[in-house]
Amino acid sequence: MDEDYSSGSVDADREMTRLWRTWRTVFEMLLDRGYEVTEEEVQIPLAVFKTKYSDPLGYPDRNKMKVSARPTEAMQMKYTPLPSKSNPTPQPDCGTIYVEFCPDSTGVGTKQVRAFNHFVDENNFHTGVFITQTPISPSAVRLLSGVPGRICEHFQEQDLLVNITRHELVPKHVLLSPDEKGRLLERYRLKESQLPRIQVSDPVARYLGLRRGQVVKIIRKSETAGRYASYRWVI
Amino acid sequence: MSLDRHILKTSLPSAHAASASLTRSKPVTTRGGGAPPNAGMSQQEKGSLSNRPGTDPRHMAIALHHARQIQAQKDAEALILDRILDLVQFPASSSADPSSPSPEDARAFKSALIPFQPADYDNLILERNIEGLCGYTLCPHEHRKEDSRGAFRITWGSKGSGPGGRGREMNIVPREKLEMWCSDACAERAMFIRVQLAEQPVWERRAGDTRGTHILLLEEERARSQQQGKGKGKKRSTTTVNEVAGQLGDLHVHEGQSPSDVFDHMANLSVRDDARSQELALERGDVHPALYTGRVDINVQENSHTAGPVTAPQMRPGDEKGGSIEGYVPRDH
Repeated sequence: MDEDYSSGSVDADREMTRLWRTWRTVFEMLLDRGYEVTEEEVQIPLAVFKTKYSDPLGYPDRNKMKVSARPTEAMQMKYTPLPSKSNPTPQPDCGTIYVEFCPDSTGVGTKQVRAFNHFVDENNFHTGVFITQTPISPSAVRLLSGVPGRICEHFQEQDLLVNITRHELVPKHVLLSPDEKGRLLERYRLKESQLPRIQVSDPVARYLGLRRGQVVKIIRKSETAGRYASYRWVI
Repeated sequence: MSLDRHILKTSLPSAHAASASLTRSKPVTTRGGGAPPNAGMSQQEKGSLSNRPGTDPRHMAIALHHARQIQAQKDAEALILDRILDLVQFPASSSADPSSPSPEDARAFKSALIPFQPADYDNLILERNIEGLCGYTLCPHEHRKEDSRGAFRITWGSKGSGPGGRGREMNIVPREKLEMWCSDACAERAMFIRVQLAEQPVWERRAGDTRGTHILLLEEERARSQQQGKGKGKKRSTTTVNEVAGQLGDLHVHEGQSPSDVFDHMANLSVRDDARSQELALERGDVHPALYTGRVDINVQENSHTAGPVTAPQMRPGDEKGGSIEGYVPRDH
């Protein structure tokens, strides 16, 4: 690399690298949730990312950074509720996800969130992920979560700088399908309310996009038993 | 039955309570007959509950009561959010003067603020600042932007505002507080509104609660107090001692009352008046009659005294050596 970088381009370089890490975490997140993303997209090298998503000055151009992905077959299976009398052929409760990076560096309020909600609604995305550089205002949070029939999530860029699920102290979380959940409850003769719980706002639950009422299996290493599985009901 | 169903369709808590008390009053007969005690349930509710034994319609009423409360809270929050989004666009014209706002704007602003809590108002200010506007809703100007990067600012008051009337008052203010407004005057106006808002969330307020409904702008309040001050000064100068004495004379209890009348009045004030106690409960905000008796039926049952008069213990054989320990007599060695 060149030695005589001006301070501006050092700044730009740092921001670009940080954003690249966030970008990769987003793709890992999509992969872990079960969306169709390719290996190259997840493993994008910094140089490629820089050429693709920077403006002429070397700063990241967030307007270009929009992703949408479709769920895989496996994910659709997991999100299909069990057939019931009133609903004999249930449809999977998941669909195309849309990720947008907000270009505004300060003060993200209801205006941007409203535009985002409108875009998600207009293009008929099932889920929207809104990523900002700064925290968004309380009314904006309320507005984001109040879209009827759609799921809109919010992350800050710094939340996704590292992938928390890759940390050695974070055990593996696996979402159970309604069928698996039913079998679990039957095997242990439980009601779902008798399971231990996990909050929707839990960092890993947010990462996996868990919804109220689902059950996750948490597999951790155990000194004595090798592996230990526990289950959590999302509330 | 059809009448009951008709009542329940109103979805009023009192209706549910009425049906609950109706079935509660005759639990023995229903249980004896084998029919589940849900005579007051609507068809749908009955369908889901009738196959379960031991269901209590009172539980249903309580659950519905809570569900309705939560729904009311959600509705109120949505309403406040809508109002915030509306108020961000205020005032209607960009040339409006914050010190003398147009009557329509002021009226709309004041009526929109009625369900607000101070925290919601803070959200509104934040939202306006994000839009680049002054935090005071009736001000069309942009908010201040300090270019230096320090986190705090020193502000100086006017001459003679310092301690003891000498020098200038000095304040150290966080930058973000200063940047909320276009000027100190607007800050004062906005904060004057804020202190008038009711602390209680709107879904917990009672019908007759007037706090937070009569909001005055700072200018109105100033005009009013000025007028009042003038009026008071005038009155004080004109009222004479004689007039005051005359007014006091009017305050005397009417002479015509006999003692028996007074006793009658006192009797009417009795606490055990059903209609009045209901009224009182309504005034207190206990709107749900099903909950008058509490969530759980409490039936205190005193143990009857079975033992007769207490007698002093008497010495038994072996007691001089310590006696038995719960039937075991230790042996001497």
